[in-house]
Amino acid sequence: MKVRSRRKLVKPISWSALIVFLFLIPLFITSPYQLHILIMAGIAIILASSVRLVVTSGLLSLAHGGMMAVGAYTSALLVMKLGLSSWAALVLAGVAAGVIALLVGYPFVRIKGVYFALVTVFLAEVIRLIIEQWRSLTGGSMGIINIPRPDPIVIPGLLNMDFASKVDFYYFMLVLVLLILSILYAIERSRTSLTWFSIAQADFLAESVGVNTARFQVLAFTIGCFFAGMAGAFYSQYIAAITPGAFGFFWSVYIVIYMIVGGMKSFAGPIIGALILTFIPESARVLKEFQPYVFAGALMLIIFFLPEGVVSLPQRLKKLVRERFSHA
Amino acid sequence: MLEIRGLIKRFGGLIAVAGLDLTINQGELVGLIGPNGAGKTTVFNLITGFLRPTSGKVIFEGKNVTGQKPHSIAEKGIGRTFQATSLFPYLTVLQSIIAACYLRPKIGFWEATLHTSSSHRKEELSLGRALEITKFVGLDSVKDIPAHSLPHGHKRILGIAIALAAEPKLLLLDEPITGMNAEEVSEAIAVIRRIWQRGTTILVIEHNMRAAMSLCQRLVVLNFGKKITEGSPEDVRKNKDVIQAYLGVEKHAA
Repeated sequence: MKVRSRRKLVKPISWSALIVFLFLIPLFITSPYQLHILIMAGIAIILASSVRLVVTSGLLSLAHGGMMAVGAYTSALLVMKLGLSSWAALVLAGVAAGVIALLVGYPFVRIKGVYFALVTVFLAEVIRLIIEQWRSLTGGSMGIINIPRPDPIVIPGLLNMDFASKVDFYYFMLVLVLLILSILYAIERSRTSLTWFSIAQADFLAESVGVNTARFQVLAFTIGCFFAGMAGAFYSQYIAAITPGAFGFFWSVYIVIYMIVGGMKSFAGPIIGALILTFIPESARVLKEFQPYVFAGALMLIIFFLPEGVVSLPQRLKKLVRERFSHA
Repeated sequence: MLEIRGLIKRFGGLIAVAGLDLTINQGELVGLIGPNGAGKTTVFNLITGFLRPTSGKVIFEGKNVTGQKPHSIAEKGIGRTFQATSLFPYLTVLQSIIAACYLRPKIGFWEATLHTSSSHRKEELSLGRALEITKFVGLDSVKDIPAHSLPHGHKRILGIAIALAAEPKLLLLDEPITGMNAEEVSEAIAVIRRIWQRGTTILVIEHNMRAAMSLCQRLVVLNFGKKITEGSPEDVRKNKDVIQAYLGVEKHAA
């Protein structure tokens, strides 16, 4: 009883400590370059975690890069052409990506397994082509530049964020990531998620007990794409310039690699994968230049030696140690 | 309760079901038997919407359900198991049954995501129902084991338990005792009897003639997609066409 109550306390305390630590990071990491890496890691976390949600329903989406583009362009155009608040644009960017996912979802989920992944590749390509060809609206392959910063947040005497510095963007990213992760976690712990797992493992069996599997899979695809759209909007507001080439097929594949390397069975997996694979290429110039090779190498190592991803490493080590000692 | 009229299913040139008429009354335990390739599983797939009939009608409780999606047929009250042992391999026994309690109580996306008190209540309700089902089918001792690591007999029973979670009025069992050892067979038959005694109407496909004869009140014999006879196990046992279908035509030495 005592142990349990203590454990109940330890968890929230360590989580709050972690969050406080994350908020304090700009106090000791002041280099704009390092903050930039952290911000990009945040984007990668949103993308990898949201693609995992789609995967739990039994669908592998390779359209996440394309959905990011939808969000980035929606946000930029809403702010620049219609003069909308950047905060409204952030949400509407997610809605735009979600609506596209919802529209193509029903025909798409009839296509099972690897074929679904293939049609999502085409979807992303079609999105890229539309953006490239619709020059009057999107600026074609030249893209859009001078995207305004997010609207300032001013609470007199307390807070004054004008997003002129990377620190402000770091906090923007941090709040966005924490918010999205808590929503994803709430879904992960809900019945919806159990239904998705059951569909992923045997869709016809789920269907036979009354689950409208198509509707559930479209729901997962839509939610996943919604957050990818938001990540894209954040990206465009942060980088301030976007081109259709920035969201190519490689992005979609990288996002999936983040998830697999971290481990897709656990909620923490994509977060850890995104962090590792964002930091490794930045740690040495050589690695940065050969990024695709680094990613491919990491993917192969993981598939061969840690099929459940980096998150399963502690468990694996524990097991190894135990086996060693029990033999002795 | 269930009425099938003139059911036909063609796969290209092959006629799997060739004009089947079948009536199942409330409270019956009917066996659907016949040699390999007689079309028994196809009939199940046609009833439950996994296949669309070429022609013919499936009427359940007075409503035409022909060609509806499997999930809506499940919602109307027809449950089924699958011939190949089909489970949610990485869910535990209890999780599998909770997942299968999808229809009752139904938990909406928003209440589930927001973890509202109503969703907590429903979660508790479905946990209670799932525990009750594990006890009812005798899986409570293995309820925390992942489905894929269960022994074969338990796997088949779990398949039935998953179907039960949807609270079917009519339960279709596709070869429930295949591949079981003698002890598992008697356990499985006891479970099926209990389900039937609780008021669920059952239609069961069975290969094992002896098991089918001892279990069912009425047997329907299928061959080449056609009903060749139906009646009590006694009548069917004596029927010439049945003997012929199972053993082949005897050639008399001239």
